[in-house]
Amino acid sequence: MILLETHNVVLRDTLTKRFSSTQADPLDITFVDFDGVTYHLHTPTDDFHQLQLSVRWACFPQLLAYGAEALLQQQYKPFLSTTPEQGWHVTFDIDPRTIEGSKGEDVIRRFSLLKRNLMAAPFEHAFALHQQGDNGQSILTVPYREEESIFIRPQSDRVTVIFSTTFKDETDRIFGKVFLQEFVDARRQPAIQNAPQVLYSNKEPPLEIRHLPNLASGDTIGYVTFVLFPRHFETDEAREKTIDQIQMFRDYLHYHIKCSKAYMHTRMRARVSDFLKVINRAKPARETGERKTIHGRTFTPV
Amino acid sequence: MTANSRWRNTVQQQQQQSNTLRPYLAAVRSTLTAALCLENFSSQVVERHNKPEVESGSSKEVLLNPVCISRNENERVLIEPSINSVRVSIRVKQADEIEAILCHKFTGFLTQRAEHFVILRRKPVEGYSISFLITNFHTQQMFKHKLVDFIIQFMEEVDKEISEMKLSLNVRARTVAESFLLQVGRQCTDVSIGNATNFLFFYCCYG
Amino acid sequence: MTSITDHLFPFGIAAHAYNKDRSQVAVCLDTSDVHIYDTTSWTLLTKLTEHDELVTGIDWAPETNRIVTCSQDRNAYVWTQEPNGTWKPTLVLLRINRAATHVRWSPREDKFAVASGARCVAICYFEEDNDWWVSKHLKKPIRSTVLCVDWHPNNVLLAVGGADMRAYVLSAYIKGVDSKPPPSPWGEKLPFNTICAEYVNPAGGWIHSVAFSPSGDALAFTGHDACITLAYPGTGAVTTIPTDRLPYLSMVWINEHRLVAAGHDCAPAYFEGQGDQWQFVKALDAKEVKKAANTNSAFNMFKQMDSRGITSKNTAEGKTELSTLHQNTITMVRAFRRSSEGVSEFSTSGVDGRLVVWAV
Repeated sequence: MILLETHNVVLRDTLTKRFSSTQADPLDITFVDFDGVTYHLHTPTDDFHQLQLSVRWACFPQLLAYGAEALLQQQYKPFLSTTPEQGWHVTFDIDPRTIEGSKGEDVIRRFSLLKRNLMAAPFEHAFALHQQGDNGQSILTVPYREEESIFIRPQSDRVTVIFSTTFKDETDRIFGKVFLQEFVDARRQPAIQNAPQVLYSNKEPPLEIRHLPNLASGDTIGYVTFVLFPRHFETDEAREKTIDQIQMFRDYLHYHIKCSKAYMHTRMRARVSDFLKVINRAKPARETGERKTIHGRTFTPV
Repeated sequence: MTANSRWRNTVQQQQQQSNTLRPYLAAVRSTLTAALCLENFSSQVVERHNKPEVESGSSKEVLLNPVCISRNENERVLIEPSINSVRVSIRVKQADEIEAILCHKFTGFLTQRAEHFVILRRKPVEGYSISFLITNFHTQQMFKHKLVDFIIQFMEEVDKEISEMKLSLNVRARTVAESFLLQVGRQCTDVSIGNATNFLFFYCCYG
Repeated sequence: MTSITDHLFPFGIAAHAYNKDRSQVAVCLDTSDVHIYDTTSWTLLTKLTEHDELVTGIDWAPETNRIVTCSQDRNAYVWTQEPNGTWKPTLVLLRINRAATHVRWSPREDKFAVASGARCVAICYFEEDNDWWVSKHLKKPIRSTVLCVDWHPNNVLLAVGGADMRAYVLSAYIKGVDSKPPPSPWGEKLPFNTICAEYVNPAGGWIHSVAFSPSGDALAFTGHDACITLAYPGTGAVTTIPTDRLPYLSMVWINEHRLVAAGHDCAPAYFEGQGDQWQFVKALDAKEVKKAANTNSAFNMFKQMDSRGITSKNTAEGKTELSTLHQNTITMVRAFRRSSEGVSEFSTSGVDGRLVVWAV
């Protein structure tokens, strides 16, 4: 309820339906995921069992460079189409008939986590660099949204992940500040002390990436830094969990800012209607002459 | 400062403030009661015009001296009486930018519904968060003493509402931050889930 | 000191006037209409609808049975009753270019004074030759809107009060209408617009009401500063009674030593004294008439909960009624009945729509 899920619900549900039924109808849907990811799922030929899934994401070239290519080869090889659909970054051909019943579930899960897996690639890449002893020479930049980027900097003892995020209006900015301050403060709780350290800087980019060109600065932009220590990514389980959470951070933050705004709105609406009642008390309940019944007849109270 | 000590400070601050709240509201109440003695007054400058004199300001002798009642440097009320209308402007406490934005949102919300509130002025007087314009027509159609009650209650509740909204925002932010970080930190050590359910409970209350 | 009758109209009353035997009452609504009601059955007898803006003043001459009304539309009408009972309006040539605010017949009913926002008072009288009501303006010392006027019993002197925070006593002597008045403490030779007296309201504040005492030898005026000032030109004594209440808008002398004033406070108040010894006596705060229980109480309770947020728990803050009989500003006090002692009953009307007759 509080945390966001990493898989795409539409993709999962649609695929599940296609896999479970023997009947095949024509299909052509376009839908979206977080961070401007767009999917196109359709039946390209008269054989309606044959599905084609295409993905578009502005930062796809960067992702490929940071290990997504290998990931696609490793996880999605049997489905990879040789040439992507016109205007899309990558295309997969899926035919439920060729997949055995027991494997279907795994395929569905794999595709519904497609965006998560693509985004995990640069993280995995950075963790690998860390293992190789890279000490801050390389910074991986993923411009995952139009004006927002993730910077990953592997060092010998840690991996630093920096998010840049923009706030559309004044309220978002101030609410965002409150939330981010709590992220910084929360680590003081004993239960959370093992969580990665969070740093937050407003307006100015943090030192680690300040030398990079074309960095935005100003009132509407904020930089959030997560410092990941080896304990956060040494075991497979920890690594998966960390990647899951960290890559969803930006969406999680903005989702809760929006929810807070909506809640404030509801609250104000209720308060305003309370005020209206208070001012109504000032209006005398004067009899306004004759009263009419619903049928238009004059009503005289006895 | 941690979140908890910040919250404690807010509570302390509120307790201190409530000591000065009563005399402040009492002063506003008696000033308003006196200022709301209005009568129908046709303009002596423009023929066949009947406009709130406090707004037109064209006849000096039918305006009374404005009264400004201040609780502190951030909270004050300006009452500008005249023979047929009173303008009441309230500056709501805005200690930090969260309170400022909440106040701005809230007053904006009210002014959008100005026609229901009848006495609300669509544009606040400069330097104030919200203004009311009460004319003799309002005091004729409504009970004067209840209009005063309304303004006093409004002043009380606006403060309370903004403090509560701020508090709820802080609680929500903390819950959100802790649930997130707990997920990332959990696999490293054995952390009891108790806290997380606690957060969920909070979330339900405020969500 | 109780209320004798109490009638609630479904509209606010700006002014009211009774006829001579008190069987009918004319009330100014907060519109351009005047209604005349029968005071026993409270049936609407007639509507006077000649004005096109708010009617601000009304007076009913008891002997000649004529009504004069004035309005913010800058006009005044004299209404006379036809043999068949209908009222016929006659336009008065006021020659003012701002709203009329107040009107009073002179004691002999041959003149009336119309106060106005044009910084003057129009003294109107009937010119037989032209069969026409004409007017002369009292202008000289007046610097702002005139809010109230009152006639001296000698039919010549007029008290004037207004937004210039001063009360004047001026001569409204009209040649050919008035005979030479006997000398009084206010002066002997009194040609038109003689300034007999000028009083400044000590604490400032607009003058809402002026009134000569029954003998005419004293003048009382009330200001927006909630004070009542009494002036005796004979001795030169001027006494101000400060009150801690809200401003009074109208007052009536009961006798030479007693007067009743009412206004924003919603409760009529008594003042007593003589010369420079005057004091506030009491206000009729306590509600002395119980309202009949509403027949539709359950319906009203739920309606109130819905529209006003009033539940049984918060009735105190939801309570809408004042402890006074009038629930809003009293706009006018008038003598209702006189005895040998002076006024024995008076009537009040308010913007809450109530018309109440009180025993002194």
